Amino acid sequence: MKTEETIAKKQTISHDRDRTGWKEKIPELFSRYGIFLIFLALVALMSVLTPHFFNVYNLINVVKQVSFIGIVAMGVTFVIITKGIDLSSGSLIALVSVIAASFAHPGDYPLFVPLLLGVGVGAFAGLINGTVSAKGMIPPFIATLGMMTAARGLALLYSDGRPIGNLSDSFLFLGSGDLFGIPFPIIVFLFVGLLMHLLLSNTKFGKHTYAIGGNEQAARICGINVDRHLILVYTLAGFLTGISALMLTARISAGQPSMGVMYELDAIAAAVIGGTSLTGGIGTIPGTMIGALIIGVLNNGLDLMNVSSYWQQILKGAIIVTAVLIDSRKNKKA
Amino acid sequence: MKARKAFAWFMISVLMLGLLSGCGNAADGKDDGKMVIGAAMPVFDDKWLSYMYDAMKKGAKGQKAELKMVDAKNDSSKQLEQVEKLVIQGVDAIVICPVDTSAVKPMVDAAKQADIPVVVVNRQPSADVLEKVDAYVGSESIKSGTMQMEKVAELLDGKGHVAIMTGELGHEAQVKRTKGNKDVIKKHPDMKVVRQGTAEYQRAEGIQLMENWIQSGDNMDAIVANNDEMAIGAIKALKSAGKLDDILVAGIDGTPDALEYVQSGALDVTVFQDPVGQGEKAIVTAVKLAKGEKLEDKMVWIPYELITKENVEKYVERWKGYDENKG
Repeated sequence: MKTEETIAKKQTISHDRDRTGWKEKIPELFSRYGIFLIFLALVALMSVLTPHFFNVYNLINVVKQVSFIGIVAMGVTFVIITKGIDLSSGSLIALVSVIAASFAHPGDYPLFVPLLLGVGVGAFAGLINGTVSAKGMIPPFIATLGMMTAARGLALLYSDGRPIGNLSDSFLFLGSGDLFGIPFPIIVFLFVGLLMHLLLSNTKFGKHTYAIGGNEQAARICGINVDRHLILVYTLAGFLTGISALMLTARISAGQPSMGVMYELDAIAAAVIGGTSLTGGIGTIPGTMIGALIIGVLNNGLDLMNVSSYWQQILKGAIIVTAVLIDSRKNKKA
Repeated sequence: MKARKAFAWFMISVLMLGLLSGCGNAADGKDDGKMVIGAAMPVFDDKWLSYMYDAMKKGAKGQKAELKMVDAKNDSSKQLEQVEKLVIQGVDAIVICPVDTSAVKPMVDAAKQADIPVVVVNRQPSADVLEKVDAYVGSESIKSGTMQMEKVAELLDGKGHVAIMTGELGHEAQVKRTKGNKDVIKKHPDMKVVRQGTAEYQRAEGIQLMENWIQSGDNMDAIVANNDEMAIGAIKALKSAGKLDDILVAGIDGTPDALEYVQSGALDVTVFQDPVGQGEKAIVTAVKLAKGEKLEDKMVWIPYELITKENVEKYVERWKGYDENKG
């Protein structure tokens, strides 16, 4: 009897709270899911504007296209949360691409060799990025800018400036195969997204990442090994870039030293659109995934509508800034 | 502190040595009466251009001239400095492959003030600059576009929907090749451009753009790309959608990679631009001018060549020959 009463009481209380809080609830809802709502609005808009947008084939097409940048952007999210930046991802894609491709000719080596080499090269480059900026006390902007230039040079040197083709079928599956009708890159994108989300939101590693970005000094005092953690974060970013590069190489069925130009900026844009703050300490993986999808939907929708390339660039720039503007206003309010 | 001072002195002495050796070279060039040709090149790490550079080096050896080749790393202002330096060194002729054709005028002026003959190679500057230079060696960008589209029009019997995939927006080749395409289409009342979009000369972007075009459900008979890499991208996307057999694909460049796609029948048309022809002719022309000889014609055209499945083997052999030359 008593317990029933308390339950009933509790229910009325929570009910009351709900009712009184309705007005504050909308902005709260918006501040939590703002970018997601903007994304839905964009999807709705595109569906109205072009009849070819909203169908399963095209939606799968869009998600597949953003998988590559999306995975890179997840690593970049970790980096930006620590108040860092990674400018090397685009060039790193090219470097991983040519090295992996040269070991992926049919009948040369088993599949795991190019795969391990690919993610290995990516992680190693990330390790250098992290070590140089953490131990060398060099701003990440400069450290990764150096890597951006050097990795592109290495890719050109290694491949003699030429695409490396003739890749084995099992390798090509990574970029153009599908499982149960779903393109393989999408499966990897969602799987890696889930893992990275858990890593960032549910582990000590994630908490330390936020702590360093929020206040590095305080994090140090709290006993977090900041240098080691930063090195790990950049290594993770390099590793994820490696995964993306492998799939992209398989997609175009060649290792190319000219690949991935400006991808680092797309990845950073995806993270920032998704609510990651360049001042550190704020950001989520689902947000970044939505950010990548917003870019993808824009690209796809504008292509479908046959908007001129000049206008596409202007519109994309304007929409990206507007989305972030709306999102940041809500952050100020909150 | 001491170490730093020592290091500074070391650096200064290295720099001084560098300067001295620079002077030494310039003097050598004059002393033994050997002709010196300066070559201001846009960027060293470009595959196609590297074949042109090799041909220039070989050509200079053949002409018993010394070749001073410098790399502007795709930076116009750097290229201007380099040309000015070549002028100061007093070379006998300068070959310029401009980073940006609209920024080449001050370079030509600098050389002409010192009465040094100038040859522009590969990238054609505007008419007012052409008036000042002594020779232009290269192909006419717009012709690759017309040649490519004429073949496509022939294959389509003069009618059909065409989608044009363009390179980096504003790039000279993108503008002229696309214009060449459209000039031809205008001549065929039954042909029309249904789509135009940029894939930035890249294969990955070519795949993405083609995928989106396929999703649009538009009827397309031919994909005409500003370069081969984008054309290969379009082929990949068309192939996975099972539409490759119904749609013609055309590129420009005739890269070794693209030739494989021509051989397999996936790429229907591409256009070859001859790096070795341009490099050799540039040097021959520069040497002639340095000796004070007259040219028959200021414009030295190296024509484009059309590649289709019928003649592709010839070009495969040609690339092989170029690679062997590289050694």
